[in-house]
Amino acid sequence: MIRHSIIKIAASLAFALAATAAYAHAQLERATPSVGSTVASPAEIRLKFSEGVEPQFCTIALASEGGAAAPLGPPSVDPADNTVLIAKVGKTLPPGVYTVTWHAVSVDTHKTQGSFDFTVKP
Amino acid sequence: MTTLSSRAVAGALAGAAALFWLSPAFAHAVCGDRIFPATLAIDDPGVGDELALPTLTYLPMNSGGSQEFNATFSYTKTIFPNFGLSVQDGPTWQRPGGYGWESLNTEAKYNFLCIPEFEFMASVGTTVIWENTGTGTQTQPFNVYQPVLDVGKGFGDLPKSLNILRPFAVTAELSESLPSHAWTDGNTNSTNINWGFTVQYSLPYYNSNVGEIDNDFFKHLIPLAEFAFSKPISNFAPGPDVTTGTFQPGVIYMASTWQFALEAIVPINGASGHGVGVVGEMHFFFDDIFPDTLGKPISKWGQP
Repeated sequence: MIRHSIIKIAASLAFALAATAAYAHAQLERATPSVGSTVASPAEIRLKFSEGVEPQFCTIALASEGGAAAPLGPPSVDPADNTVLIAKVGKTLPPGVYTVTWHAVSVDTHKTQGSFDFTVKP
Repeated sequence: MTTLSSRAVAGALAGAAALFWLSPAFAHAVCGDRIFPATLAIDDPGVGDELALPTLTYLPMNSGGSQEFNATFSYTKTIFPNFGLSVQDGPTWQRPGGYGWESLNTEAKYNFLCIPEFEFMASVGTTVIWENTGTGTQTQPFNVYQPVLDVGKGFGDLPKSLNILRPFAVTAELSESLPSHAWTDGNTNSTNINWGFTVQYSLPYYNSNVGEIDNDFFKHLIPLAEFAFSKPISNFAPGPDVTTGTFQPGVIYMASTWQFALEAIVPINGASGHGVGVVGEMHFFFDDIFPDTLGKPISKWGQP
């Protein structure tokens, strides 16, 4: 009897955990331009995270291969999807390798960060 | 349902791992760009609010010559930021040998170092395996105290020319097992030194920092290999001072709020067991699931 009670309680807990609508560390799922890709000069940097993010606490920086900062607007979230962080690129980027460095704060205040390169083709 | 399977399910629903001297699986840990997953044989270097439920282990023949099945659990609660307490327990079945509930295993652990730019972190802790808290085959009439050092290093700081290597990470653990009694029923209780390491290749890291992975399943995988060893260093009976250990290749699927790990258990020599075992674990990140209640430290003391 005790054994079966333990099974039921634990099973309920397991299902509750699995079904909880949770938040978490925001991990980068996709980016535009794609991580490691070669593209034409992008109009914006778009980062798709695994969780919703708070744009006022997030940063995106863009730098050329030499380390010079490229003009980038303040980050905002897609009005239709708060897991997507967007920053407008201020000018057409000359060909070369660029590094995107991001810091994200998810809606439950967990912090994550990362960086990746993309190449602007001639 | 057979008796064994009923107990197995009960244990599974209670569950987390305790195999030989192995440390309980604990927190995933974040340092800089790196997320270290919770690993099974070697503890990761972080501290967090987490629940491993269950950890199921099967050994076709353990070091004592018995077939063995464990179904255990582990729960960690942060008291202060970077400091947590954990408990681990669960049942074990052996054939021959029978059933026993393992001795209660607790740990206090402090994550004292994280250098984000180097993805390097380190923690210290003390584990106590409590006397007379086990039953049956798992009865142990003495405490075992175990100071532990855990470190982790991600290789994201390698130059971009070595991009393919940047998702690699290693973690390592060193501990010493100190029994509270030198003798039990005429047998020596040896002092052991335990050590081990993991080698991991994080596809989530690759996807975020090196190159996009189109497949939604593969981008969550972390292939890894764990190596865990133990050697008696004092107060052991003549003869059996051989190093024992396991090699555990496997893979972790890491989602946002949980992970699942599956590894083979390969004994390194005959004194460590025979045949290839298997261990699987479901692990929940309470800091992500319940960020405002169960998943946060009890006190903010020491928070920067």
